[in-house]
Amino acid sequence: MRRTIQKVLIANRGEIALRVIRACREMGLRTVAVYSDADRAALHVLHADEAYRLGPAPASESYLRGDLILEAARHCGADAVHPGYGFLSENAEFAEACATAGVTFIGPPANAMRVLGSKTRARQTADAAGIPRVPGSVTGLTSAEEALKVAEGIGFPVMLKAAAGGGGKGMRAVAAREELAAAYAAASSEAERSFGSGEVYIEKLIEQPRHIEIQLMADQYGRCLYLGERECSVQRRHQKVIEEAPSAVVGEDLRRRMGEAAVRLALSAGYVNAGTVEFLVDSDQNFYFLEMNTRLQVEHPVTELVTGLDLVRMQIRVAMGEPLGLKQEDVQLRGHAIECRIYAEDPENSFFPSPGLITRLVQPGGAGIREDCGVYAGWTVPLEYDPMLSKLVAFAETRELAIDRMLRALDEYVIGGIKTNIGLFRRILNDPDFRAARIDTGYLERLLARAASVDEATVADEVVAIAAALLAVSGCERTPAVADSVQQSRWATAGRQEGLRT
Amino acid sequence: MTVWIEIGGKKRRVELPSAGAAGALECVVDGKAVTVDAQTLQPGVMSLVVEGRQYRCVLDGDAVLIDGKRFAFEVSDPRSLQGRRGVGEGAAGPRTVKAPMPGRVVRVLVAVGGDVAEQQGVVVIEAMKMQNELKSPKAGRVIRVAVAVEDTVGAGDVLVVVE
Repeated sequence: MRRTIQKVLIANRGEIALRVIRACREMGLRTVAVYSDADRAALHVLHADEAYRLGPAPASESYLRGDLILEAARHCGADAVHPGYGFLSENAEFAEACATAGVTFIGPPANAMRVLGSKTRARQTADAAGIPRVPGSVTGLTSAEEALKVAEGIGFPVMLKAAAGGGGKGMRAVAAREELAAAYAAASSEAERSFGSGEVYIEKLIEQPRHIEIQLMADQYGRCLYLGERECSVQRRHQKVIEEAPSAVVGEDLRRRMGEAAVRLALSAGYVNAGTVEFLVDSDQNFYFLEMNTRLQVEHPVTELVTGLDLVRMQIRVAMGEPLGLKQEDVQLRGHAIECRIYAEDPENSFFPSPGLITRLVQPGGAGIREDCGVYAGWTVPLEYDPMLSKLVAFAETRELAIDRMLRALDEYVIGGIKTNIGLFRRILNDPDFRAARIDTGYLERLLARAASVDEATVADEVVAIAAALLAVSGCERTPAVADSVQQSRWATAGRQEGLRT
Repeated sequence: MTVWIEIGGKKRRVELPSAGAAGALECVVDGKAVTVDAQTLQPGVMSLVVEGRQYRCVLDGDAVLIDGKRFAFEVSDPRSLQGRRGVGEGAAGPRTVKAPMPGRVVRVLVAVGGDVAEQQGVVVIEAMKMQNELKSPKAGRVIRVAVAVEDTVGAGDVLVVVE
């Protein structure tokens, strides 16, 4: 069924809201932002044609209030809602409420979301579609005793996971029988607190796997395309840190087999719109279904760069009822893209969050660099939401060139006033194991456990001389910014281990 | 003027050029002369040419960003090294637990008069969807609880004092 979309309300914030606004603008569609009290001056509000206040800062009183969002849509006459990722993007009740209100939800149908959004139901669907999955339970466990029975059947080590989970919450690795009962209780309780459901399932722990996922796009006429893979093995506490496309270890044959399996799964659930099927891949290139994300993902730009496709535009067109204009053989991959998630956090200090005023922002540019950014200088990064400031993406002909380009861009990037993880990316991208693509999902934890090498810790004389010169010059620089910044009392934390041109 | 500049865990003895100087400055780092040509571009932003190499430097609170890399320094005057530790902050005296970041207090795990063990959690702060349990640096008795649930705190604010 064809539908007209003229005005899109973006039920999100930050860089993804801006990303959707940009796509809409290019398509000649009007855009509507919604905001909490903490976001009145946020970039997504400034870029939209219209903006409506939802409520106080906590997400539970603003961005998670589907009723308020639909009220805003009714008020302004928006005929579609794009949910971005997170918040309400995988909430089947919200998708249904949109349909009831006569507003097009730019995402999958509620039924497909229900089938694939629950990890246990998705595993049952994968079984029915003949897709290999990690051995383990296909239904939620009811007790620690049942967990033990399953674990002994598949053999330790195992992983407990929340059925409604994500982001590493409600997950526990269990190495041996005697650890299982306590881990089950902890995982179930964390899942209950985080997702409102304590349902936990169990699977065999695949050792040193790579996390590789397939991007899909499906229309409502039964056509579903796979758009290549992304490798997301660089993770910290099950949260992705760097993503790249294509994976250095996936060849034509594996890509086709994974892609066809992903398409089979999507079609069997009646899936429409953008989605991603996540797999674990072991050292023998066996792949196992993990879960499906029924939304656009953070890391979609790397797929856009290697396929040349605009996924948000495709989402909107599919939601309008247009057929995909492409065949599978039209999807050609070219070059290599890497994405770094730039976070307001301090890797030197237990990754503590670092909200606050951005005093200065110098954004990288030049050939092959894309930055999807949700902040600006003079804006205060609020406490209430996740710490992602921007996504920096480098694209080049080869992986090696993309890494070099990313390092160059990181050197240009200045975010003042708050701590960020930019320095951590330099360390990863210079690491010989990363450069040789010797990575798996445990790679980053191992890197962080190693002290920075002598070279990384070396601080050139120039840096000390620069500090000395700044101290000297600042004696007469009494403009407020300088005067504030160079008082010795404020230069009071220990030196960071970052080399300058070393 | 001679100062110690500690960076990357290493302390260097530096002779500063005269205060208020600009243009080509000579700093002496561990006895080695380094010439720095400083030009202020805008408040807080400088171009420094050091031995022919150009660096763009941004002053940022307790640190400087040099070509995008962040360096934090500790600067000390050799004449004032004594007495740097705050009175009463030794292992035997009261110790404070401070907020390592801005955040919102979601749980207070101790009360005034209660005993705590070393590394026992005292306050949980949430920021950016991440909760951090802050721990007591020593075993002792809680003599002050400076925050309550729902309070917003800034980095460095005192949360709890343990004696």
